[in-house]
Amino acid sequence: MSRRRLSRTAAALALSGAAAAVACWLASAPATGPASTLPLHRPDLANGQALFHAGSCLYCHRPPEAAAGLDPALPSGGAPFHTPVGTFYPENLTPDPETGLGRWSETDFVRAMARGVSPHGRHYFPAFPYASFRFMRTEDLLDLRAYLMSLPRVRSQPRAADVPLAALARRGVGLWKRIGLRGGPPFVPDPARSASWNRGAYLANAPGHCGECHTPRNLLMVPDVSRHLAGGPHPAGEGKVPSLRGLVVRHRYKDAADLALALQFGESYGYDKLSSGGMGAIQSNLARLPAADLRAIADYLVSLE
Amino acid sequence: MQMRSLGLFALAATLGAASVALTADDPAAARHEAMEHVGDAMKTLGAMARGQAPFAAATVKQNATTIADRLGEAASLFPAGSATGTSRAKPEIWANKADFDKIMADGKAAATALAAVTDEAAYRPALGALGQNCKACHDKYRAPEK
Repeated sequence: MSRRRLSRTAAALALSGAAAAVACWLASAPATGPASTLPLHRPDLANGQALFHAGSCLYCHRPPEAAAGLDPALPSGGAPFHTPVGTFYPENLTPDPETGLGRWSETDFVRAMARGVSPHGRHYFPAFPYASFRFMRTEDLLDLRAYLMSLPRVRSQPRAADVPLAALARRGVGLWKRIGLRGGPPFVPDPARSASWNRGAYLANAPGHCGECHTPRNLLMVPDVSRHLAGGPHPAGEGKVPSLRGLVVRHRYKDAADLALALQFGESYGYDKLSSGGMGAIQSNLARLPAADLRAIADYLVSLE
Repeated sequence: MQMRSLGLFALAATLGAASVALTADDPAAARHEAMEHVGDAMKTLGAMARGQAPFAAATVKQNATTIADRLGEAASLFPAGSATGTSRAKPEIWANKADFDKIMADGKAAATALAAVTDEAAYRPALGALGQNCKACHDKYRAPEK
C-alpha cells in the first residue's frame, strides 16, 4: 500500500469513527420535549397513595439507616441501592424545593417516570425502573405526583451515584433505551380476562415493576420478555429471585386467595417465602394496598403458567 | 435373634452418635434442622389464622411450644464463621450480633406467649407478634435462596 493510500485509509477510518461517535451522541440524546400534552386532571390522592405503595417507592427512596432525624416513613432518599453497574442513592421524593421534587412541574414528573429523563435533561440510569413505570397511565402519574407533593417536606440531599465513568455511562443509557424500552406503552387490557385480573396485571407490571427483579435480563441488561417473571439471578449478586410462574401448580400457594393473604399478612400468617432478598420490605409496602388490589395482583400472578 | 437385635442396636447407636457428631461440627445444619421444625409448626399455626383449618387451643399450645423450644436451640447455633455450605445466614448477623440475638429472644418470648393463648380472638394478634419477629430477622439476616 502506498503512503498516500495509507493516509487516505487512515483519514477515512478517522472520519467514519468520528461519524459513528456523532451518530452515537445523537442517538443517545435525552428526549427533552414534553412527554405528551398532559390531560386536565383533578388529582385523586387516595389513588396516588395506593400507587405509591404498589410501587414500594419508599423501599428504594428511604433515608439511610444511619441518618439521624430523618423519618424512615418518608421517601427522602439517600439509602444506598447496590446494582451490578454501581451504587445509586435514590432521590428525595418529598416536596422540598431545594433537595426534593418541590420545583418539579407535572411535565417534569411525567417525563422522569415515562421516559427516564431528569428535569435537567439528563438520562436516569434504569436502576430507576422507568422501563416499567412508562406503562402507567398519565392520570395515575399525576395522582402519584399529587400524593408525593402532599407529604411533609424533608430537606435531604442524596449523594451522587457511584458508577464508573458516570457521565459517559449516563449518556450511554440513551443507546440502551433504544433497545431496553422497545415494545412500548400503553398498557393494553385483555378483554378476555376479568377486571380484577387486568387491574392486577397493571399493578404488577407498571407501578409494581415486579419484572425488574423477577424477569431475567440478557447480556445488555434488557429484560427477556420470553421469560417474563420467570425468575433469575438476584440483582444484588447473591442468590436467586424466584419465578412467579406456576405458583399454584408448584404448590407455593393454594390459590389466588391464598397468595393474596400471603401478600397482605406475610409471616404474620406463617407465609415464609416473602422475606429475604428485599421482598420482605416490598411485602410490607404491598400490605398497605386495599385488599381488592392485593387480590387483583394475586389473580394475575396465579394465571402465569 | 438376640444377635440380630444387638446388631440393630449397635447400628442405631452408631448412626445416632454420627448425627450428633455431625450437628456438633456443623452448626449451620443443626440450626437449619431446628428451623425446619419451626417452619412446620408455623405452617400449622398459619393455616388456622388463614381460616384453612379450625381453631384448636391444644394445637396452638403444642406448636407454639415447639417453636419456643426450637428457637431457643437455634439461637445458640450461630457461632462466628458458621455461614457455611448452603447456609443463607448473612454476614450482617455477626456484625450486629446483639440485635440478632435480641430478635431471636423476642421471637422465643412471643412463641411462649402464643402457647398460652386459649381463645380465638387473641390468636391472630399473638401469632402476628411472633411472625413479625420471624420477618424482622429474615428480612435483615437471611440471604435469598441459592
